[in-house]
Amino acid sequence: MAENKLLEVKNLTVNFHTEQGTVYAVRDVSFDVAPGEILGLVGESGSGKSVSMYAIMGLLAQNGRVEAGQVLFDGQDISRAAFPNEKSYLRTMRQLRGKDMAMIFQDPMTFLNPVLTIERQLIEPILNHTRLTRAEAKARALELMRQVGIPSPEKRIRQYPHEFSGGMRQRIIIAIALANRPKLIIADEPTTALDVTIQAQILELLKELTRTTGASTIMITHDLGVVASMCDRVNIMYGGKLVETGTDREIYYQPNHPYTMGLLSCVNNPEEEDRPLEPIPGSPPDLLKPPRGCPFVNRCEQAMKVCKLRMPEYENLSPTHLSACWLNEKRRRERGGERNG
Amino acid sequence: MADRPYISIQHLKTYFDVTRSLFEKRQIVKAVDDVSLDIWPGETLGLVGESGCGKSSLGRTIVMINKPTAGRILVEGEDVTALRGEALKRFRRDVQMIFQDPYASLNPRMTVGEIIREPMDIHSISEPDARDARVVELLRIVGLKPDHIRRYPHEFSGGQRQRISIARTLALNPRFIICDEPISALDVSIQAQIINLLKNVQREMGIAYLFIAHDIGMVKHISDRIGVMYLGHLVELGSSDDVYFKPLHPYTRALLSAIPIPDPVAGKARRRTMLQGELPTPLNPPPGCPFRQRCPQATARCGETMPELREIQGHWVACHNIER
Repeated sequence: MAENKLLEVKNLTVNFHTEQGTVYAVRDVSFDVAPGEILGLVGESGSGKSVSMYAIMGLLAQNGRVEAGQVLFDGQDISRAAFPNEKSYLRTMRQLRGKDMAMIFQDPMTFLNPVLTIERQLIEPILNHTRLTRAEAKARALELMRQVGIPSPEKRIRQYPHEFSGGMRQRIIIAIALANRPKLIIADEPTTALDVTIQAQILELLKELTRTTGASTIMITHDLGVVASMCDRVNIMYGGKLVETGTDREIYYQPNHPYTMGLLSCVNNPEEEDRPLEPIPGSPPDLLKPPRGCPFVNRCEQAMKVCKLRMPEYENLSPTHLSACWLNEKRRRERGGERNG
Repeated sequence: MADRPYISIQHLKTYFDVTRSLFEKRQIVKAVDDVSLDIWPGETLGLVGESGCGKSSLGRTIVMINKPTAGRILVEGEDVTALRGEALKRFRRDVQMIFQDPYASLNPRMTVGEIIREPMDIHSISEPDARDARVVELLRIVGLKPDHIRRYPHEFSGGQRQRISIARTLALNPRFIICDEPISALDVSIQAQIINLLKNVQREMGIAYLFIAHDIGMVKHISDRIGVMYLGHLVELGSSDDVYFKPLHPYTRALLSAIPIPDPVAGKARRRTMLQGELPTPLNPPPGCPFRQRCPQATARCGETMPELREIQGHWVACHNIER
């Protein structure tokens, strides 16, 4: 794997304490992000993909707690445990967020403040994190608006969010995220609320910006089409666990985990001959009482006894391709058996 | 195939008056503007387009939730736009609708059994005593269990709720169902379950679908024919393979090239026809082709007259610049 890593997440575990009990939202997840790469984070609702990102950024809801794990960002340990107290942790995270780490959310209307002009919202992160004067910050804001393709920025910067269309609002959010030239952009379903033609514009913009700024991007999405056209590597999450990770080609052409395979046979590639869709039966596990073994065991057609009891180890299929499935162990034993016999 | 379409929509217009005050100039949104199409018994017609193109308004007008401003809707030869009272109720028995949001379309205070039974009670279908047995049968058809009958909608996931919606729709043995984005609120693995369920039900009961969605990959999968709408107009109509592989209208071409393909090599190599700008407002649109401001091939003629939908070898398109 890449020797220099921008972000390293080790054994991250996040729980939510609710009235119904403890929700084990993210369980023992480890991965990393290299500088300049686009990593896709794929999973269904409730698979823990967004929660793991919020945990990294220190943005968990009040009842959420990082129970274990380490987060290294640009060489610095930013796990809560690495700080002497809550206050110093929060201060460091506030300095990082909006500067070196930025987030793009799904719904541009709830992210932007409806009663402030675009100018106020664009220059705020610049003033907070740099020593620029107000005039210099405004010049930077105009430059950002041009960079994300908003026509006549001098006029538009004085307007309010409701005067912008959905696609234009998403461009403004991207401009805010880029304001301080972040090293890491986390985009949480950035195009789900947009139409296909606008989605194509925004994806193209994000791709180009990662190329020109050298920032790394983590794309959280459930759209396998978006992942295929954007991402260099893909993490597949299911039931709070990372079940498979690999390069885009490894995941799409040589999927190993039955969940990944199931997910791929649920989508129709319109370019190809129509084939029957093979849905995954059942629904995702209840994370109030997650299965002891593999999270996918109840929907997996090839499940064995061991799958119920123990979580499989990751199998190294290539230096970049990891998959957690007992079938690999079984196959290996069968191969070994043949050789011996 | 039958000798006449089940539904024939002729020059249908649905306009909404959105004038806010008496003193303001009249503001008209032309949500559906002169759309004609036929839907044959047992077929699936997919309808695609971006938000605001009028695809949902068209669906809602066909079931007469919205009143058409002009035009005719012929169901087996009979114009239903003039129907009132009992006759309208009778028509709605045969034509049903499945909505996008399975959280909003089920009454949270009714049990699943009551939800599925209600349409039969309203339309007095079969003997009252036989209705509960029918509910159990419908639950089985849509892949739910008989003991779900006493549960409430909040106890179900999105995919299961959509199954409940489908069971309710099927309770009346409809001939035609309008599916308005039935899968867009669901997770990928659940979407495929619902699509397969809809296909099975169609095969067994011979129901025709108008399948409205923006996911063109899925629309192509389920549809026999596809219609493309832009700003209230039907701009292209043809068999699903013709529209997908040989699109004629410049808008269809741009729309199709914007779809992200679930294949990393082809997806990244894809050349996109980027559309500049966004969908213009349907408020008082100027004359001519609605797409001309974003169209890479627009000519002076496009600004003058609205192109008619013309047939080119069984494939219909509304564009001045397509040669016969």
